[in-house]
Amino acid sequence: MLAILWKDLRIEWRTKEMLSSLAVLAVLLVLTLTFAGQAGTVGASAGRLAGALWVAFLFAGLLGIQRSFLLERENQCLAGLLVSPVDATSLFLAKLVGNVIVLGLMQALIVPLGALFMGSGMAANLPALAVVLALGNIGFAAVATVFAAAAVRTRAREVMLPLLVLPLLLPLVILVVKATGAVLGGTSLGEVGPSLTYLLAFDAIYCTAGWMLFEFVVRE
Amino acid sequence: MEGSMRFLTNLFAAYAVIWVGLFLYLLGLTRRTRRVEDELESLRALRGR
Amino acid sequence: MRARDFFDRWLPWIAGPAMLIALYCIFLVAPTEKDQGVIQRIFYVHVSSAWTAFIGFGTVAMSSALFLWSGHDRYDRVAHAAAEIGVLFCTFVLLTGPIWARHIWGTWWQWDPRLTQTLILWTLYVSYLMLRAFGGNDDLVRRWAAVLGIFGVLGIPIIIRSVRILPGIHPAVLMTREGDTGLVDPGMRLALYVTAVAFLFVFVWLVHLRTRLQRLADTMALMHAEQG
Repeated sequence: MLAILWKDLRIEWRTKEMLSSLAVLAVLLVLTLTFAGQAGTVGASAGRLAGALWVAFLFAGLLGIQRSFLLERENQCLAGLLVSPVDATSLFLAKLVGNVIVLGLMQALIVPLGALFMGSGMAANLPALAVVLALGNIGFAAVATVFAAAAVRTRAREVMLPLLVLPLLLPLVILVVKATGAVLGGTSLGEVGPSLTYLLAFDAIYCTAGWMLFEFVVRE
Repeated sequence: MEGSMRFLTNLFAAYAVIWVGLFLYLLGLTRRTRRVEDELESLRALRGR
Repeated sequence: MRARDFFDRWLPWIAGPAMLIALYCIFLVAPTEKDQGVIQRIFYVHVSSAWTAFIGFGTVAMSSALFLWSGHDRYDRVAHAAAEIGVLFCTFVLLTGPIWARHIWGTWWQWDPRLTQTLILWTLYVSYLMLRAFGGNDDLVRRWAAVLGIFGVLGIPIIIRSVRILPGIHPAVLMTREGDTGLVDPGMRLALYVTAVAFLFVFVWLVHLRTRLQRLADTMALMHAEQG
């Protein structure tokens, strides 16, 4: 009888946990939207477009990275890779580059659509835009790659990746939306200002950290 | 001086938040610890140590 | 065993009175601020909580690094404890801030750089705790949590700078200058430092208690596992 009672209590407790994780996710979503919105106030329509684009990139990107990891797991790819003589850092770099490419492709589709629907009368600086988007992707991928594997191992797998990754990405959101808004409005790379510098710093820090720490989370 | 009355209530509220918060956490900690200690005792007794 | 004795026996008797001394300093030593009145006294616990919250996160990160480096479970327990208590103090900052701001600015929330960066810190804490809550107790999850802790602390310099350049951000409303308390009166300074030290003692004591709880719980889990 005690066992049944214990089991029932645990089920109830689990529901409460689910609610709390959803509540936290809601807070994170609102924060992300707020920061993207605020960072996108520079340069009027270019800024707004930048904010909207990056919110879209974030969520599509999170889904994409999570999905690719799940697929890999289903096909036992990871186990196979671990058995082979590939060291953790190369694995990290490979996954990182892969994710960056996937994000880039997605953006190549979304950006023209976004510009079509929302960007009336904009003078976009295309090479600069590509650079800024790439920098944002690298930072995003660096963080998400490390934790994608962690997320699926937890009880709340669907919500876990955004839960883990969004707090770390909040400064990235601020910086990249600001920079993207600037280049969408025609600013050249040199004039974007501190957001670009900090963005580079973000990428450098997290790529290095991921590269150095990945081995700790890959061995069983 | 009605304004200062509101000030005082909110000042009290802010301090209450902290003291009550700390107190509740401490209470929760001691309760959890006692529960675990009790269970450890019974486990050890079962083992016949 | 002497270190543990200190934590178990003496620390509560240091932390408790320290808090009382702090209260004394706040209300009886520090003068009333001329512009804001009595409500300004929230400042002392607000800022002390913030400093403790940041130190707490530093503790999480350092313990996490030590855990990854050495593999000793002890460090992981400290990290987990520091996260729980750190988030508590972080919550204090986020609650006392609006209570104070409401009287000065009339609204509950302002995108003040310090409050905003504390909010981000809070989300970092919470995501760490969620990972531990949902991840269970195996070694791999602990290592992931450690990486999360380290990643979090690495972001703090960028968080601080990016929040400052956020277009919608207000200039520092609750404190006058970055990195400076802006306090001139020595009585106020004393109150702030005494409170900060008291909070730190309380933090250390609570982390000790929480770590001890985790150690007992881990022992219990081990015994359960052995019994099968």
